[in-house]
Amino acid sequence: MIKVKNISHFYGDEQVLFDLSFEIKKGEFIFLSGSSGSGKSTLLSILSTLLKPSSGEFLLDSLHVGDINNIDKFRQENVGFVFQFHYLINYLNVKENIALAALDSKKQNIDKILQDLGILDLASRYPNEISGGQRQRVAMARALVNEPKIIFADEPTGSLDSKNSKIVYDLLAKAVKKGTTVVVASHDMQVQNYATKTIRLLDGKLQ
Amino acid sequence: MIALKALSKNKFKSLLIFTSITIAVMAIFLISSVSQGIIGMYSKMIKTDGDIIITQKGIADTFFSNVDINIMKKIVKLKGVKSTYAMIVGASPVGDMPIAGIYGITKNHMSHYKLTDGVYPKMGEVILGSNLANQIDSHEVKIGAKTFKISGTFSSGVGFEEGGVVMNIKDAGDMFSRSASFILVSSVHVDNIDNLVEKIKTLNDDIEVKTTKSFVKEYNQFKIIENSSLVISSLAFAMGLMGIASIMSMIVNSRKEEFGIMRALGKSRAFIMKNLFFESLIMSFSAYIFALVVSLGILEILPHIEKLQGYVNGTLSFETAIYVLISTIIMAVIGSLIPAYIASKTDPILLINQGCS
Repeated sequence: MIKVKNISHFYGDEQVLFDLSFEIKKGEFIFLSGSSGSGKSTLLSILSTLLKPSSGEFLLDSLHVGDINNIDKFRQENVGFVFQFHYLINYLNVKENIALAALDSKKQNIDKILQDLGILDLASRYPNEISGGQRQRVAMARALVNEPKIIFADEPTGSLDSKNSKIVYDLLAKAVKKGTTVVVASHDMQVQNYATKTIRLLDGKLQ
Repeated sequence: MIALKALSKNKFKSLLIFTSITIAVMAIFLISSVSQGIIGMYSKMIKTDGDIIITQKGIADTFFSNVDINIMKKIVKLKGVKSTYAMIVGASPVGDMPIAGIYGITKNHMSHYKLTDGVYPKMGEVILGSNLANQIDSHEVKIGAKTFKISGTFSSGVGFEEGGVVMNIKDAGDMFSRSASFILVSSVHVDNIDNLVEKIKTLNDDIEVKTTKSFVKEYNQFKIIENSSLVISSLAFAMGLMGIASIMSMIVNSRKEEFGIMRALGKSRAFIMKNLFFESLIMSFSAYIFALVVSLGILEILPHIEKLQGYVNGTLSFETAIYVLISTIIMAVIGSLIPAYIASKTDPILLINQGCS
């Protein structure tokens, strides 16, 4: 599913990732662990095509990411992303936030996903009108709506209590069962209970 | 749709842009309108009942012109002349007013000033324009060093005149030491006007004779007003437009996180640019319409403000309105799209992080 070859990354003069190479198979639930500053978020951003690596290459679904012409379209069709702070658009309501991410062919899935996540009654509310846990479920719905091949989650439970954290992990585990690959970068050791594989980073290097 | 949502949800930012654009557009409208209005009023004064204007040769301003009034006797005898009248244009303190326009008129032109009260003035008497009359509550008024009896009030529809005083040309001549500022001639056949101009020229070597149409077009004072107005209004507008562009730019920069999220969700650069384009378009057009309506309202009120004596009057031309509309939209769009384009070339995650910082 993902093949990483000699990825390195710099912010200015500071190197944050050092010559990383690894593979992730389809349907795996990957726990990307490491302390703060270890490079987890940077690696996740690169793997999800949100950031170009300074050097190296990687294949996503057998495609060389650097060679993909329309990376935005590719991302929309193949990648789902869940951020720690959910990053919903404040002037769009719940349903519109999900519709913004949805491919035209997947727009009819929105109500079902909202129903599955237990937030259908929030469809017309704005992000500032719902709780943190509900916002993260909306962010999950947004990541799932296009039935992506892979979902990346960066500290998805960082701002949630244990009850809501479990809801999020259960949703990700459910996606894995359907064949989706999931990569979660987190400090939360609860992920280990769900992960099929752990990739540990220390100071930008694989441990 | 998203553009409208963004505007309505970010009310404070939208209001800030809307207000800036409104003020900038109003500045250009009011400055250019008032100068166009001044020119329009003076042109109307000269063009009324006159096809040909006779001034002193080599004088740049009618205020300094002195034409021998006796030439009128020769002019009326020329074939094709319908009527002729003379006028002295001056300015002087009137009562407590520091300055007001003084118009000395030959008797045959008095009817141009429609009386709203009293009778036309005899020697030693004046009639007051309606705006000035509202500020003078007396039967007499001191003009310069002499006191005149007020015989009535008039209305002419010209702001300059309605804020001034009309008197007999002889009284004005004594006050300003001249015979006439200019003489106006009406012709029987307008088609033959150039021929008549040439005939009048032969009557006196010290006069300059022009059709009122060409006079208005070439009058130096109008050129000065027009050019000054153009410079001032262009500067005001340029500053306003720069303000619009920089505010749009700041607003767009403050939304980097939002653009980063959209990109992360797979939205293309074109999608983001298109929505920003519509936001700018909606904002600048609505602010323009608001500024236009407010400016027209102000221009309607200005002539009725007594303190201004009717001197500040505005006319907004269609060309100016269109020019300002196009410039406003272009600057708003440029101001928002350039930073948006730069942002769209940045990696989504960096945009999100920049937006959070």
